Amino acid sequence: MKAYRSIVVGLALGMAVAAATGQTKLFSELVGPVPVGSVKAGGALQVPFIIWGGDMATFYANGGLKTKPGTLFHEQGLNLNLTPGDDFIQQVRDYRTGKSPFLRGTFRMMGQASEVIGSDPRTKGVVILQMTWSAGDHMVAREGIKRVTELKGKTVAVQQGGPHIGMLDDVLKTAQLGWDDIEVKFFDALTGPDSPPQAFRDDPSISACFAVTPDMFGLCSDLNSVGTGAEGTVKGAHVLVSTAELSRSIADVYVCRKDFYDANRPLVRKFVAGYLKASEELVDKRAAHDAGNRDQNYINLLNQTVQIYTEAVLPNADEAHGLLLDCTFAGYPGNVSFFEKEGNLHGFEAFQKSSLELATGRGYAKQKMGLLPSGLAYKNDDFLKYLRKTEAVQGERFRAEAVLSEIEELSSGGLLDDRTILSFTINFKANQTEFSAVQYAAEFTRVIEMADKFGNAVVAIRGHADPTKTLIDLIKAGNAKGTLKRSGTRGNYRYALNGQALDLNNTSRLVDAIGAGDFDGVEDYNPRRTMQAALNLSRKRAESVKQSVVEYAKGRGIGIDMSQIQPQGVGIAEPFIAKPRSVDEAGQNMRVEFRLIRVSAEVTQESDFDF
Amino acid sequence: MLIGLWAVPLGHAEVQVTDSVVVVVDASGSMGSVMAGTGRDRMSVAKDALKQVLGQIPDTTDIGILVFPTGNWVYPLGPRKESMLVGAIDSIQSGGGTPLGDYMKQGADALLKARKEQFGYGTCRLLIVTDGEAGDQRKVESFTPDIISRGITIDVIGVEMASRHTLATKVHSYRNADNPESLRQAITEVFAEVATGDASKGGENAFELIADLPEATASAMLESLSISGNQPIGESPSMRAVESPSPSSAPSYSGGTTSSQSGSGDEESFIMLLCGVLCVLGVPGLVIYAIVKGKNK
Repeated sequence: MKAYRSIVVGLALGMAVAAATGQTKLFSELVGPVPVGSVKAGGALQVPFIIWGGDMATFYANGGLKTKPGTLFHEQGLNLNLTPGDDFIQQVRDYRTGKSPFLRGTFRMMGQASEVIGSDPRTKGVVILQMTWSAGDHMVAREGIKRVTELKGKTVAVQQGGPHIGMLDDVLKTAQLGWDDIEVKFFDALTGPDSPPQAFRDDPSISACFAVTPDMFGLCSDLNSVGTGAEGTVKGAHVLVSTAELSRSIADVYVCRKDFYDANRPLVRKFVAGYLKASEELVDKRAAHDAGNRDQNYINLLNQTVQIYTEAVLPNADEAHGLLLDCTFAGYPGNVSFFEKEGNLHGFEAFQKSSLELATGRGYAKQKMGLLPSGLAYKNDDFLKYLRKTEAVQGERFRAEAVLSEIEELSSGGLLDDRTILSFTINFKANQTEFSAVQYAAEFTRVIEMADKFGNAVVAIRGHADPTKTLIDLIKAGNAKGTLKRSGTRGNYRYALNGQALDLNNTSRLVDAIGAGDFDGVEDYNPRRTMQAALNLSRKRAESVKQSVVEYAKGRGIGIDMSQIQPQGVGIAEPFIAKPRSVDEAGQNMRVEFRLIRVSAEVTQESDFDF
Repeated sequence: MLIGLWAVPLGHAEVQVTDSVVVVVDASGSMGSVMAGTGRDRMSVAKDALKQVLGQIPDTTDIGILVFPTGNWVYPLGPRKESMLVGAIDSIQSGGGTPLGDYMKQGADALLKARKEQFGYGTCRLLIVTDGEAGDQRKVESFTPDIISRGITIDVIGVEMASRHTLATKVHSYRNADNPESLRQAITEVFAEVATGDASKGGENAFELIADLPEATASAMLESLSISGNQPIGESPSMRAVESPSPSSAPSYSGGTTSSQSGSGDEESFIMLLCGVLCVLGVPGLVIYAIVKGKNK
């Protein structure tokens, strides 16, 4: 399951920009003075593509680079000429001159170009289609860096201008860090020589790098593995963040010139419908291929993709299949949700905002010049009578029991901290399940936003209780029963268990006595009941916090997937301080911990699209 | 070696944390005999005592009443409905043998099942009304500590019961049916945590009581105190998950489906073997709280 993402996307941009300093130039300077022309009428329409699994649906709909009879685009009455667009700057030049009315890139790349295209009303960009979400881009870190917050002060290697700039921006926001909090080293290429993964191998001062799936396999051997140093892996290298869980970070899109869009709205609608039809068919064919069913059409597409991208880039059909596996299609329901759903934190408005902030903040643009949403009539028969998978609704994406048992496995295996992306704690008073939700508004906002960006991570809300009373009841039960006795004076106590002197370090004697019932059967002090009460209390605390988060989101008009938020009571099993010495120390155990946790793909529900 | 048996309970969106009480009522022939000094039979005294004690239990607690030797659940374990509850108690008639041990198990099993259905949450009490003349005294003696070890609180209402009877001495509370003072003994709310006020109650610092306990000892004691699962009384727990002995072996993860239902035959036999070995070694592995991790800072 190897794949390449946009190998040379931004390559030219990178060369023009990076130099040795890593300083960013204005995007307009990179593009240079290119006059705006009108889109040529007649003949085949030029449509750029880049190297990404989402573009395979375009090839599929078109039957190759030129529209072939009997294909989806042909049925739609289109006549297209697909052209390589991995040089994004050249794409923007062609877009301005009118050679092509379309731009192909990630949303955040469109943000970088927004000022150059938005400065003229004719070329202002309309985002017409969200093709996919990425699941195949990764941030790999060295041993010792377990949380994104630990990136502070570290050196991070990333390709300039490519899809990982936006992902890095998301990672930094997750960690509540700014770009100034880290040292960034820019590289021209995404993969191969002079790329971040290569620099990560060669330069130990680089703490983390961005990598596409094949490079990530090379460094760590697997998404959930740690490099051993053997077989070319880098010792201690592991995936810190991946779009496998940061699933709403990289949105691949098409943009159309405003003048062309206004004059050719039905054509644009048919292009989008044809693409969505292709993605519907491809998700089925891809699943069938994984299940071992041989479909000649699908195999032809894989071979054709190898041919288009060349073997130097994509060696064989298996790699082409892997490229497709690294993307999650948005489909028709995803596009409706992206452009039209209110309160969608990973919809058009949210992406536009973050893209423009990134563009101005990183020096690609001076002003925030916006893009326009598709404005397509999604209820039109061109969609509803043509597509099959239009009814899908966003259901619960996680299987609750599977999620909780995975969390339990991580916890008992000592891996919970390793898989925790971010966490924070809410403290409670003794025996209380109420807390001041107002006080945690900022944290709740963050949790809701992060849970949305990390669509394939779960928010574990784990309630805890303090063990002190259970311990005290245990001792008191022994005293009341006469099995455990204390004599002497403070600071110099002596203990006896069942009439024999007891060394408190003799754990096994005490444990055996508990097993034998030497602390049971006292009405006033029943440590087992206290322990169970602590378990119940911890569950109620977790539930109370979950309810607050849900109400908080509702109050702000944000829809959240309830299955992504899992409350759980841990009781006294994981105290922060195992044996408190004061009320203050005990208070630290009375808590609910929020954890955003990376989980395996197996705990999510199967679905065609993500939206 | 870490062994997570049934481990930390699963939660679920709809999970309830409801407390439960099961009453096991002895309606054997001996309960029909006249109680000395009262002119009433033991059963009538017992019924009045039971009504009084149940009156102290919060309305939100689920109640069940199991009568033996008939084996009838005159009030099946569930939410409390006052009108039906009184009728159920009045319907009990005495006659027959006294398999007390068997019915203690049956009552406890019902509690464990209820607790299992809410993923381990909720407090369980078993209330036994009897004159203590069990026909299966050995079972009473072997089941009692097992029931207690599962975290079920056992309260007894004794009717002319010998005060040195197993039940009177091993359980958590004993009330005498013909002693009004004893019946009024409150069923108090259980607090899980120490509060500021507790720390210095009666001039005694609560924390001082445990100050000498080494942290490792405290953790081990809590671990061994933990409930050994919701399987029926007298049976061994079934496993949920077994952790590999080396926590560093980074999992190439097959997801969260290591419950025994989905385990392959090989895994299950390995688990059974491991279970056997642990039992032989006396490892206190049968715990909810697989580990008590001290993160002292």
